[in-house]
Amino acid sequence: MHLLEVENLTKRFGGLTAVDNLSFTVDEGEIIGIIGPNGAGKTTLFNLITGFLKPDSGTVKFKGEDITRLEPYRIVNKGIARTFQVVRPFHHLPTIANVMVSLESPRGSRKIEWVKSPERKALELLEDVGLTDMMLEPAEILSHGDLKRLEIARALATDPELLLLDEPFAGLNPIETDFLTKSVRTMHMDGHTMVMVEHKLHALMKLAKRVIVLHYGAKIAEGKPEEIAKNKKVIEIYMGRKA
Amino acid sequence: MATYFRRVYLSFAEHVLDVPPRLLASMIFLILLAYPITKPPLTILYVLSVANIMAIFAASWDLLVGRTGQMNLGHALFFGTAAYATALFCKFFNLQLWVTIPLGALIGVSVALIIGFPCLRVKGPYLALVTLTFPLILISVVKYFREITGGEEPIINPRFFPGLPMYGKQLADYYLTLALLFVSGVILYKIANSRMGIVMVSILDNELASKACGINVTKYKLLAFAISGLFGSLAGAFMTHMGSGASVNYNTYLGVALSFQAIIIAIFGGVGTIYGPIAAAYILVILDMYGLGKIFGWFASNNLIPASIIQIESSMHWIMYTLVIIILIIKWPRGIGRFTTDKLKDLQEARELEERGKHIWKTYKRKKEESEHASTRS
Repeated sequence: MHLLEVENLTKRFGGLTAVDNLSFTVDEGEIIGIIGPNGAGKTTLFNLITGFLKPDSGTVKFKGEDITRLEPYRIVNKGIARTFQVVRPFHHLPTIANVMVSLESPRGSRKIEWVKSPERKALELLEDVGLTDMMLEPAEILSHGDLKRLEIARALATDPELLLLDEPFAGLNPIETDFLTKSVRTMHMDGHTMVMVEHKLHALMKLAKRVIVLHYGAKIAEGKPEEIAKNKKVIEIYMGRKA
Repeated sequence: MATYFRRVYLSFAEHVLDVPPRLLASMIFLILLAYPITKPPLTILYVLSVANIMAIFAASWDLLVGRTGQMNLGHALFFGTAAYATALFCKFFNLQLWVTIPLGALIGVSVALIIGFPCLRVKGPYLALVTLTFPLILISVVKYFREITGGEEPIINPRFFPGLPMYGKQLADYYLTLALLFVSGVILYKIANSRMGIVMVSILDNELASKACGINVTKYKLLAFAISGLFGSLAGAFMTHMGSGASVNYNTYLGVALSFQAIIIAIFGGVGTIYGPIAAAYILVILDMYGLGKIFGWFASNNLIPASIIQIESSMHWIMYTLVIIILIIKWPRGIGRFTTDKLKDLQEARELEERGKHIWKTYKRKKEESEHASTRS
């Protein structure tokens, strides 16, 4: 059984088809990269999987269970966590409290030792992403790179089986990118399955085992990173047709 | 002259205000507890009781709006519903006050939950407008069922401890409301700073992200409505049995003015702090009901303003009241609550720095002496 099954998913915004009859599967323990030019429907796909948007047709199955039209928070509590492309921190709360919000969710408070001292668990998670120095500062003073990592810590606090990362490397400098690459590897070792949307192909190709290429909402290629890099169609949509 | 005042203020701040906020709060509470020893006149006791009630009311508004971010322009709904419910239970069923007040609060909470459901469908300014209409609807209901509610006539209520003499009744009101303020203030503050409070602030900051954290936003919003409604209702239920008239009428209990008074108090005190609105309620209610009248009287008796102004005092009163509030809010835009705690924190930091400086100076001197000692010996 696949961990996540997406079948014939379609979403239209008026005349524009953002996601067009898309099907793919994710198996446990994989890191999957989703790439495509701007407006290819990557973020819409994430919104459809996590319930923030309702699809026009098609189904999303998680561990064999249909989750297509569930409320977003119910999907999170089934075990799919996501980060946002545009960071959405809780400005008024200290960094550590940002993570503790997730620990208050039904899934985050499933484990007894997490409920007993959410502060300790939140601190552990902040340590994983390297934010312990800022733990008592309000989130509004954090830099963009810090906020990106805070988003990941917050997603991890819901104890997800599948993690959807929406452009985690966007706007990070090389040092931060290296650090995040390492933490993503550790998270993968810890048993999190990951689906990642990314424009920084260099960082993505190092991590992903399988890459799906979207163009105008439809899947045009799927395979190992090396194969994708040589795929004529993919090169065409990124670089343009040879004259 | 100005520098002299500044120096007096600074030394006052350094020696009197330099205490932890919690100690300051308990000191103020003890002063309020002991205040009736000085046998204040009836009016002052009444004004202070009203201040207690308004403090609870504004603090309950603050939990819903300042913490959860659900804009509510019709908080008087809870106040008025509970007030009418208790009054009607008293009038028609002849129940004891100790039964009717919890019943009134219960009805207030159920109303909060009932209006919570439609309110959760709308956000931001739309929510504000929807909440604004509910008390107005209830006013029409009160007017329509005039056989039961008395319509535009107030319902006269029994007071707490009707057997006591006049002064004793007022004193009882004062202590009852003060006790209620203490209990509800502590509960509201604890809730606002608990783990539930963190989730509430997350909804205020970013509802979408809160959902992505697996939080059932609807549940927490309804909870905030219910808790806020409970304390708002309790304030209303107590208010009906207080004061010289002890009556309920829709104009003061359901009016837009009451809703906005809660908002003014909360903003003046610092939205989202809970303790700010409580302090602000005291300042503004005393200013409104007692202070301004005294000031006008003083001016008039010293022939500084023409006595004819006293005749139009009520309109003059409102002009002065709003003027004072505008000036104070411009001076402290984040509210007096936050202003005070920030000041206290600054003082504490300064003191710590000073102590560290002293320590460094001491070690420096000791080392110097030691080295001098060593050099003289050699």
